[in-house]
Amino acid sequence: MGFGDFVDGPFWYFSLAVFVVGVSWRLYGMLSLASHVDLSAARGSAATGALKANLVRFFPRSALGKLLRLPVVAGYLFHVGLFALLFFAAPHVDFYRERITGFGWSAMPTWAFILASEAAFLGLMLLVLHRMMHPVTRTISRRGDYIGSWLIFIVMLTGCLALARTYEPLRILHFFTAELLLIYFPFSSLMHTFSFPFSRGFNGAHYGRRGVPA
Amino acid sequence: MAIDMNVFRGFAEQIKMLPQMAQPTDCPDGERVSRAKAVFREKLDRSKATYLESCVHCGLCAEACQFYIQTEDPKLTPIHKLDLLTRFYRREMAPMRFVYRLFEPDITAEDLEETQHLVYDSCTECGRCGVACPMGIDIASMVNVTRQGLAEAGLIPAGLRAVEQEQGSRGTVFGVGPEQLRGAVEALRAKGLDVPIDKDKADILVLSSTIDILLFKDVFEATVKVMNHLGVDWTIHSCAFEGANFGMLSGYEEVQRSASERITSQAIQLGAKVVIVPECGHAYPALRWEGANEHGEPLPFEVMAISEFLGREVAEGRLHLEPIGRKKHVTYHDPCKVGRHGGVFKEPRAVLDALDLRRTEMPKNRLNNFCCGGGAGLFVMEGATEMRNAAFDLKRMQVEETGAESIVTACGSCRVNLMAGADRTQWPMPVESLVELVGSHLKKPAD
Repeated sequence: MGFGDFVDGPFWYFSLAVFVVGVSWRLYGMLSLASHVDLSAARGSAATGALKANLVRFFPRSALGKLLRLPVVAGYLFHVGLFALLFFAAPHVDFYRERITGFGWSAMPTWAFILASEAAFLGLMLLVLHRMMHPVTRTISRRGDYIGSWLIFIVMLTGCLALARTYEPLRILHFFTAELLLIYFPFSSLMHTFSFPFSRGFNGAHYGRRGVPA
Repeated sequence: MAIDMNVFRGFAEQIKMLPQMAQPTDCPDGERVSRAKAVFREKLDRSKATYLESCVHCGLCAEACQFYIQTEDPKLTPIHKLDLLTRFYRREMAPMRFVYRLFEPDITAEDLEETQHLVYDSCTECGRCGVACPMGIDIASMVNVTRQGLAEAGLIPAGLRAVEQEQGSRGTVFGVGPEQLRGAVEALRAKGLDVPIDKDKADILVLSSTIDILLFKDVFEATVKVMNHLGVDWTIHSCAFEGANFGMLSGYEEVQRSASERITSQAIQLGAKVVIVPECGHAYPALRWEGANEHGEPLPFEVMAISEFLGREVAEGRLHLEPIGRKKHVTYHDPCKVGRHGGVFKEPRAVLDALDLRRTEMPKNRLNNFCCGGGAGLFVMEGATEMRNAAFDLKRMQVEETGAESIVTACGSCRVNLMAGADRTQWPMPVESLVELVGSHLKKPAD
């Protein structure tokens, strides 16, 4: 078995298994802990608060700090760009149809791909630079934050290199780095992709039952 | 009524003496660590685990913190204050702990001591960071868990520990107990006020606080006037009048529970339908939000902050006030524990509007309000002076932007901290009590 076959076959299934089991285990681990029942009389609705928090926390609270701060803008660029690339880049749509879902959907045009790539790259680079240079993020960042960022950067870079789909080794390299990212994902802070609705929900429920418009 | 600043300064001097009164809490290092860990393990539940799992270290919480804003010290970034708790969680409770343990050092007694400054002296648990966090991480609640761990490990700062030990052992705060309350009641009776103390049954149990008995006597008097004016069946009880809960502030849950239960059992015995918490910020969450949890079942009475109660009485047309007039220009400072942690925003403003004065909001108000800097017990912590002063300077800028000639608030601790800051910086800005304003502008029945 050549490296390409290994990456396309066993290593793909292994990395996918680590990702699925790891993410599930981590979600189960945190959500299966005891929950302290609050016996105080509620002032408002916890459910409404949880729902509201999940929506409004997509947007920065300008009244608290400076609006349009670098990490906020870079965060939007990166996340929106990455989301578009991950789910609407033509090679990815083909991949999902062939290897996972059995069906596909409309891919974005090339100009949108280029725009999304530029946004994601720019956003990620700004976020990494900010993490490295700003005293606050430099103090609070962990080694894992850097590893996650660089892994994503490498996956995106190899993805762009493999875009033409004419040179097979580049596709294999991109797929291999994506598999490494899948393996790393459940152990890292990238897990916020799945945990954020819960943390926002718990916080929103807390404020909601107290009648605080947070 | 103007406060005698000499009395106020004397009170501030007394606070400085507190560390000398604290009993030592000697404990071997290993024992400290294991005690703290036991608390962390008990308190880290589903929501807190989810919070700790969700942080992306973006640093936006720093922008919300008054102490970071004023000092730009990255160590004061709110999420950094949870480093100890995070390390414990990752090593001992996280689903991926079998991997994290390889890289995460265990916590030591030195770590506990280093964290003391971060979670006591440098955090008022104001909750502003939790509102700013895009992941919705409630950092203040976990700072409180860290405090609880340190408290169990005997690491409460000496000033705060002295008051916690006093309340835990004698049930008094700053030496104020039933005798001092009766003295304050007699002083009001000498002025011709009817003060129903120690009744067997009453619809409303009114609490007070040491600060109001010792220092802000105008507030205690105003409370009595308002309750009498409303004509309700109320009492204050010498066995359960202290709203302040230094167990909660210090993180020592045993004292928190005993202070809370003293009030709860007395209110049940009285058959009270409502318990009114005085102008004391943390006293509100201590009873309103934590009282039932300490009691182990829902409370059979309603708990209201006095500002909330006054707002409701105004809104429902039972409390009629003399208009002060638009010449009086005030700004309202929301006590964090009543506002951001309790949702009481509109009620005090309804009271101020009923007084028909000119009210201008600070640029950061209500949910976005900056703390006075003295919350969560910082006003009695010797190591927090620099932080308190920094926070006050920020607050002062906020107030000055309003052009107001007076600050009104509904928390004795906020008032102490703002007055101390004004005194220190020779800022001629009165800091008034909401209840006192109401008490001195009650509409006479003949009107």
